[in-house]
Amino acid sequence: MMSPIIESSMTPFDPVRMRRTVLEMAYAGSTIHIACAFSIIELLTVLYRHHLRYPGNDPRAEGRDYLVLSKGHGVMAQYACMHELGWLEDSHIQNYFKDGSDLKGLSDSRVAGLEVTSGSLGHGFSVGVGIALGLTRKGTDQKVYAIVGDGELNEGPIWEGALVAAHHRLNNLMLIVDKNGFQAMGTTDDVLALGDLPAKFSSFGFETLEVDGHDEIAIDAAIRQLWAAGPTKPKALIARTVKGKGVSFMESINLWHYTRLDPKSFAEAVSELGFTGASK
Amino acid sequence: MREAFSNALVRLAVADSKVLLLTGDHGYSLFDEFRKRCPDQYINAGIAEQNMVGMAAGLARVGFRPFVYGLAAFIPIRTVEQIKLDIAHDDLPVVLLGDGAGFVYSHLGTSHQSTEDIACTRAIPQLQVLSPADRFEMTAAMDYAYATNGPVYLRMGKADLGDVHTGPNNSLQPGRLLKIRDGRSDRPGLIATGSMVRAALDIAVSLDLRLWSAPFLKPLHVDDVRTAVQATNGLVTLEEHSVLGGLGAAVSEITSEHQPTRVLRIGVPDRFSEHCGTHAYLLREHGLDTDSVRERVEAYCQLMASNLIP
Repeated sequence: MMSPIIESSMTPFDPVRMRRTVLEMAYAGSTIHIACAFSIIELLTVLYRHHLRYPGNDPRAEGRDYLVLSKGHGVMAQYACMHELGWLEDSHIQNYFKDGSDLKGLSDSRVAGLEVTSGSLGHGFSVGVGIALGLTRKGTDQKVYAIVGDGELNEGPIWEGALVAAHHRLNNLMLIVDKNGFQAMGTTDDVLALGDLPAKFSSFGFETLEVDGHDEIAIDAAIRQLWAAGPTKPKALIARTVKGKGVSFMESINLWHYTRLDPKSFAEAVSELGFTGASK
Repeated sequence: MREAFSNALVRLAVADSKVLLLTGDHGYSLFDEFRKRCPDQYINAGIAEQNMVGMAAGLARVGFRPFVYGLAAFIPIRTVEQIKLDIAHDDLPVVLLGDGAGFVYSHLGTSHQSTEDIACTRAIPQLQVLSPADRFEMTAAMDYAYATNGPVYLRMGKADLGDVHTGPNNSLQPGRLLKIRDGRSDRPGLIATGSMVRAALDIAVSLDLRLWSAPFLKPLHVDDVRTAVQATNGLVTLEEHSVLGGLGAAVSEITSEHQPTRVLRIGVPDRFSEHCGTHAYLLREHGLDTDSVRERVEAYCQLMASNLIP
């Protein structure tokens, strides 16, 4: 089934259209975590468009690359990608959060296309480390990308996993930090300061780069540069992002971690994205 | 019993190169043979149990068969959420090995003692919970854990108490009790698990009671518990684990619904150990030494025989 949303633009994984999909879902499900999804849209655009390999367009293909969304709160952005791929139908978007539906408000690995059950933070990265270790042992060239939130870096197992990834020289693993500067109750600086993240990951033994997390060209270049560098090191990409990116009244307004759309804010947000009218 | 564990692990790993042993920097001499025979399948994940369990989930996702070893105080207790979310939720074939369960580390105090692990793991969907009693059950439990191809918690308690079976168990059937001895049907029957089966056998012999070993805490077969109730006059459960949420609870859940009878739950009272001492000392502190248990069982036999129970 051809989606009306897909028809409205040409290139797959178009960030504007994906944000629109997120808005449609969030409005249909009357749900939260919109801003958490918006900060990783361009990262996902670049990953799905240029890097992730799914042989046969099969989300469960044995030879696939793995995108581990450790910050499960951003799952609507990943749903938007899965919608672009045809793995999700329009009805999945329109029926989000309906009783008996499959797509939850946090990543659930039983959904084909999602790799981990996350949202309880600090889990996905460790699973990603295990996947990367397993793929290394199997000698495949498959890659593992693990997206963690900067707030999620409060969790201890992230740093356990970082030690292990460096110790085992997991050069097929890329940790991507969505550094939007916010966590649930405030800024990361106010809640639990993270300090110099590139220096931290470098000192843990990661090949590390920092990038503007909304600049698709820069993201793509940084990912290529990381894979090309340091053949014995895991990679860390620190992506400076804006929570709520793309809709002016959501950008860096932490209320949009929790706020639900009403008809007015939905119409305004959709219109800001450049669409003339909301579909519902 | 530990030798049986090591032998089984080595045998499984030699036969299947996908078998990996992950340890949280524990088990120094226990894995000598494994490290010698299967060095490439040995991963010391460091003192980082939460990451280790998550990592095991990742390894299982790409086709490996991780056995994750730690002290029961850490695997499962420190990592209950990782077990729930990363492993059990996705029905991944990961075997969690919790060593030193109960009061094995008696001198080290509360941090290394584990009397709540069965209760915590039993409530996690899709996770099977095993508690072998001797070297024969250990071998069978390891084979079962590998063959079942899903998440398993295998509880390893005090290991040097001697055999309760006279020979190997060819295979374990999910949830089935193993009959150890026959006894008088007009007296209570005993169902024990893990390290308590040996003491239960001594008591059962001296009082001529029927005795079953429960190598499974979950699943636990309804028919077997019903049969035990029908063949005896009341039940006694014995375990080196809290009286809350363990074997006694599992048996009582079945009897209360399917075959009501009185169940005397003998286990660790709902409190932490107070003092330091040997394993035998801590059993006494908690009323779990053989003499104390025998006294309670004898009194229970008299109570059940007196027909004073409505």
